[in-house]
Amino acid sequence: MGIIPQIIANSIIAGAIYALIALGFNLIYRTTKFFNLAHGALTVVGGYAMFFLYKELGWNVYASAVLAIVFAGFVGYILDKAIFRQLRLRKASQMVFLVASLGLLTVIQAIIAILFTSQFQTLANNSTESRVYTIAGGIITQTQAIILICGIVVLALLTLMLKKTMFGRAVNAVSDDEEVSKMVGIHTDKIIGWVFFIGSAIAGLSGILVGFDTGLEPTMGMHLLLKGVIAAIIGGVGTMHGAFAGAFLLGFAENFGVWQFSGEWKDAIAFIILIIFLLFRPQGIFKK
Amino acid sequence: MDAIRTKELHKHFSGVAAIDGLSVAFEQGKVTGVVGPNGSGKTTLVNVLSGMLPPTAGVMVIGGEREMKGLRASDTAYHGITRTFQEVRLFEQMTVLDNILVVLTERSVWGSLFERHNAGHMKKVETVLTRVGLWEKRSQLAHNLSYGQRKLLEIARVLAMTHSDHIGQDASIFLFDEPFAGLFPEMIKVIVSVIKELKEAGKTVILIEHNMNLIRELCDHLIVMDSGKLLAEGKPDHVLAKREVIEAYLGE
Ligand SMILES: Nc1ncnc2c1ncn2[C@@H]1O[C@H](COP(=O)(O)OP(=O)(O)OP(=O)(O)O)[C@@H](O)[C@H]1O
Ligand SMILES: [Mg+2]
Repeated sequence: MGIIPQIIANSIIAGAIYALIALGFNLIYRTTKFFNLAHGALTVVGGYAMFFLYKELGWNVYASAVLAIVFAGFVGYILDKAIFRQLRLRKASQMVFLVASLGLLTVIQAIIAILFTSQFQTLANNSTESRVYTIAGGIITQTQAIILICGIVVLALLTLMLKKTMFGRAVNAVSDDEEVSKMVGIHTDKIIGWVFFIGSAIAGLSGILVGFDTGLEPTMGMHLLLKGVIAAIIGGVGTMHGAFAGAFLLGFAENFGVWQFSGEWKDAIAFIILIIFLLFRPQGIFKK
Repeated sequence: MDAIRTKELHKHFSGVAAIDGLSVAFEQGKVTGVVGPNGSGKTTLVNVLSGMLPPTAGVMVIGGEREMKGLRASDTAYHGITRTFQEVRLFEQMTVLDNILVVLTERSVWGSLFERHNAGHMKKVETVLTRVGLWEKRSQLAHNLSYGQRKLLEIARVLAMTHSDHIGQDASIFLFDEPFAGLFPEMIKVIVSVIKELKEAGKTVILIEHNMNLIRELCDHLIVMDSGKLLAEGKPDHVLAKREVIEAYLGE
């Protein structure tokens, strides 16, 4: 019996990571209406920027984290300006966006591998600073507690931004009808650029957290992206709380599945859930 | 002076000419009606004038400035152009209030993140929503409004674009694409008075409408289109009495 609380703890941690990816992915999706597969690459960019500053240059952990997050946001912003905006101007099809963003994911992961090798790296320092908490029978590390807090704080801030600020209202308008937004004088390109910045910064943050929790690999972008996208779809694409709920559902299903069957089932379970949702509830948990 | 002018304007859709060499002028401070049979290119003309479609050929001139090969949608507000849609387009998932507030949004990202709407904004929203009778409905989602209320909210939205304090976007040219279609008489009355007020304020109005009584009541000038071409223009009473105009309408 003692194992159940631990599985619950693991599920929550996994859910929080997926939630962070899904939130950023969803924010970009609802504003631009395309599946930005390059979003996964920003986790890698954030994680390795952190690795460079914190481990290679030996900077302070907070300064490194802030700069790495801003850097990931900036890379996302540039991707939008340099590539996606150009595609929007040319009224490119969904397929073109999909292929372009998949290409970017591959290229960025490759560049990271060239710069930092494909070797597995970890951001955590030799175990000493990693404190451990026991909550209701489950053990979580300090890093994992931070992951959970980050997930909740990011959801709260995003919701606040979208519901309460003028910027959020403009983002909602662009999500609803970009052309009419332009007509009423909203600078849609600027709004979309900042949405990319914010979404990518969140991806960068998740990359850093993963780096502390399990470690970094250049190819982790694709893997994290898939889980984030599945979470977004089962939660209801475009809804923020949906992404959050979907992420935790996925985290729980995977971890309980692994416990019941074996570790190899983890990804299979994710896709089985995806297929079940696509077949029986394609609009996700929270339909829009 | 002409608020907008087109010269030899063409808009083709895969070979089909929706607008076919149209040269028309819309005088500043006047209400110009645009009529014509279904499919004669009225909506397409508004789409080109509001930057939503690039013209295939020809030029347009706004406010006597240089000739332009079409306009980008993102520049229309800057040029003081605003419009409504034949098929109403609102921000569906936003409240009635937010549909108007977003028009008054601070345009700097920093300001829009950390500043609140000022009293002037709130006053403006209340004024335009009260004007069309939707102030009571302000917290409903636009999506849940009735057909007529949706058309009225679109009217309120263009009204909000007058005297906005940002980027000099004080709308001066209003394009209405069949604003009265399918409305109850009381709602028609509201929009009629809005258009009259705009005219009194010196605004330029371009009005697409099928109801000839409303055209006679509101328009200073009338343009008749047929198959994307200019069929006739002049004083409404005069134009509507012309044989070719009557034939174009009946002979469809
Ligand atoms: N986006 C489009 N793609 C292809 N053809 C179009 C498009 N928009 C309009 N057309 C065609 O252009 C012609 C003019 O259409 P338009 O909508 O401008 O007419 P209209 O005068 O507004 O008609 P109505 O009175 O029915 O609103 C029609 O033949 C229409 O089918
Ligand atoms: Mg039309």
